[in-house]
Amino acid sequence: MSAREAILNAVRGGLGHRTVDPAALRREADALLEDLPAIRPGLLADDLVEAFIARLVTPKVAATAERIADASALPAAVARYLEARGLPAAIAVQPAAVLQALDWAGFELHDRVAPDETLAVGFARWGIAETGSLVFHSDAETPILANFLPLHHLVMVRASTVLAYLDDYATATAGQRPPRNVNIITGASGTTDIEGSLVLGAHGPRYLHVVIVEDVPPA
Amino acid sequence: MEEATLSFKARAERALADPTLKIAIDRTTGTAERKRAVAMNQFPQFEAARERGKRIKDHVIANLDHYLLEFERNAIASGAKVYWAATAEEASQIVVRLCKEAGARRVTRVKSMLGEEIGLPHALDEAGIERVETDLAEHIVQLGGDRPSHIVWPSMHRTREQVSEMFKRLHRAPHQEETIEAMVDSARRELRDKFLSADVAISGANFLLADTGATCTVTNEGNAELTTTPPRVHIVTAGIEKLVPSMGHAIAMLRLLVRSATGADVTQYTTFHCGPKQAGDRDGPEEFHIVLVDNGRSRMLREGMQEMLRCIRCGACMNHCVVFRQLGGHVYGGTYPGPMGAVLTPVFDGLEKSRDLPHACTMNGKCQEVCPVAIPLPTLLRGWRDRSWREGLEPTVVRFGLGIHTFVASHPRLYRLGTAIAVRVMRLFSRGGLVKGMPGLGAWTAYREFPAPAKRTFMEMVKDQENAR
Repeated sequence: MSAREAILNAVRGGLGHRTVDPAALRREADALLEDLPAIRPGLLADDLVEAFIARLVTPKVAATAERIADASALPAAVARYLEARGLPAAIAVQPAAVLQALDWAGFELHDRVAPDETLAVGFARWGIAETGSLVFHSDAETPILANFLPLHHLVMVRASTVLAYLDDYATATAGQRPPRNVNIITGASGTTDIEGSLVLGAHGPRYLHVVIVEDVPPA
Repeated sequence: MEEATLSFKARAERALADPTLKIAIDRTTGTAERKRAVAMNQFPQFEAARERGKRIKDHVIANLDHYLLEFERNAIASGAKVYWAATAEEASQIVVRLCKEAGARRVTRVKSMLGEEIGLPHALDEAGIERVETDLAEHIVQLGGDRPSHIVWPSMHRTREQVSEMFKRLHRAPHQEETIEAMVDSARRELRDKFLSADVAISGANFLLADTGATCTVTNEGNAELTTTPPRVHIVTAGIEKLVPSMGHAIAMLRLLVRSATGADVTQYTTFHCGPKQAGDRDGPEEFHIVLVDNGRSRMLREGMQEMLRCIRCGACMNHCVVFRQLGGHVYGGTYPGPMGAVLTPVFDGLEKSRDLPHACTMNGKCQEVCPVAIPLPTLLRGWRDRSWREGLEPTVVRFGLGIHTFVASHPRLYRLGTAIAVRVMRLFSRGGLVKGMPGLGAWTAYREFPAPAKRTFMEMVKDQENAR
């Protein structure tokens, strides 16, 4: 008998005789996700983008954030960030069409993120107001290492893609073929492994700066 | 003498005599306890969320065969290869074989308690494959040549001074400044090129998603993604109880897991892996292997311990355990320490080898109170005690003592006489309301005082009152 059969037999032996109706099981599983407001925390503001930013800058997440009117203003925002920290204008830009289309004149651009890259500019598909998280999917425009190798990670996200809850991300992607990697990133890399004391920049970025592009017309 | 060959009592005595260990334990568990309390204050939905989490896990466990097959089908469809291992040995052999087939010289590893449970670090070392632990705490454990002492903070038994000394001795470009920041930076420099030059990555899973065949891992350092992306082969090992129906269910569980473990709302990195690198992807492994491990879990179903299969490995039970906080994790002798470890270790190692663990508990109920999936840990521990008694595993002196106690307790006159003498003798040895030392009480008073008893026994006082009427 294979290990597979042995395990399944042992599990069934432990569960006792019963018939499994997959449709009934699915209904039961779905029912476990009803009334989500009862089992998740509230948002920090009514407006999703405000709630998202408020969460990003809490000491727990410890990111920084700014809003720009249009994606074309991103290179200037990056330049201000670099200047404020005295960093050279040599950066890596994620190979996402939306970023590559911008005017990066004045920057020295790296094709690939180096192991000791100082700063990489990225583009997140979604923001999550509940947790102040950014969501990335691996694909031709999104190398996963670009999110983890740089010391400074500067990420653009569109205001229209800020979702209220993590559950909304699950709903938005349900039924689609998942990518190899979904990275939900919340703040900079950190560790509490030495005496429980929090230190940022463990293996991933030490600094996370989020730039929200206002692509939602005011209501 | 080797830690593993010592008795539980001898290990406990050694731990209690170690002055730096107590400092190290207090620094980490104290912080964890405070941060969890703050997180719970900010999450008034906790009780409802916990009840739901419990029901999600119970639903999966009650239909485990169905979810295992659904997961397997979808994982294979995503391009993953799925293996089943009934025992720890089978599991580590599968992983070592996969590493050898990949021609691996260097393997990077993400902390996984299941990996420890199946003896993977040892199996890789035996096979002559260079193993690089990438979680900072596991890196410290590897440099120190010892074992994890906590499931969330494996190197919690080390003070910063000890870590600094090791890094200075063993890192290629160690820190100059005596700060924790500088030490973390030293590890960052030390491990960076190893991430990028490994042949195989090995990680665990916090959840397995049945409806897509994806695995979910949560970390704070970013080492998991740096580990699982560059190598050509990625292997995941996971216990069969890690299943959830869908991502939505995983999210409901994550809200409980992270707050209970570190007091954060969510970990810095929550990553879902589904299959190998896809067409057009810029990076990622070409092969993705998932090893599903039973190792006693199906037996727990059969033996009435299914509630323990709800455990999501947050570590809150040990952070709040008065015994763990005196002794630390190594004393427990198994992969998993603290209350959850005392329940699980007899499953893995046999009760005859670990019968001391269910006794290392004051039954104060704190572990159950903080458990995010409401596992009745004290009841399960009591179950082991009961079984140990029934199977005749309790030592002669305990059986003899309990025999005497049973006889005395069922003869009221003898009992009253005995207790009346005992309280008077104990009061002779008490100073300021505390007994600090007394013949026959040394095992207790060596580490703490015993409160002096009242002048008269309860029955004597009842009798006095009756006479006064």
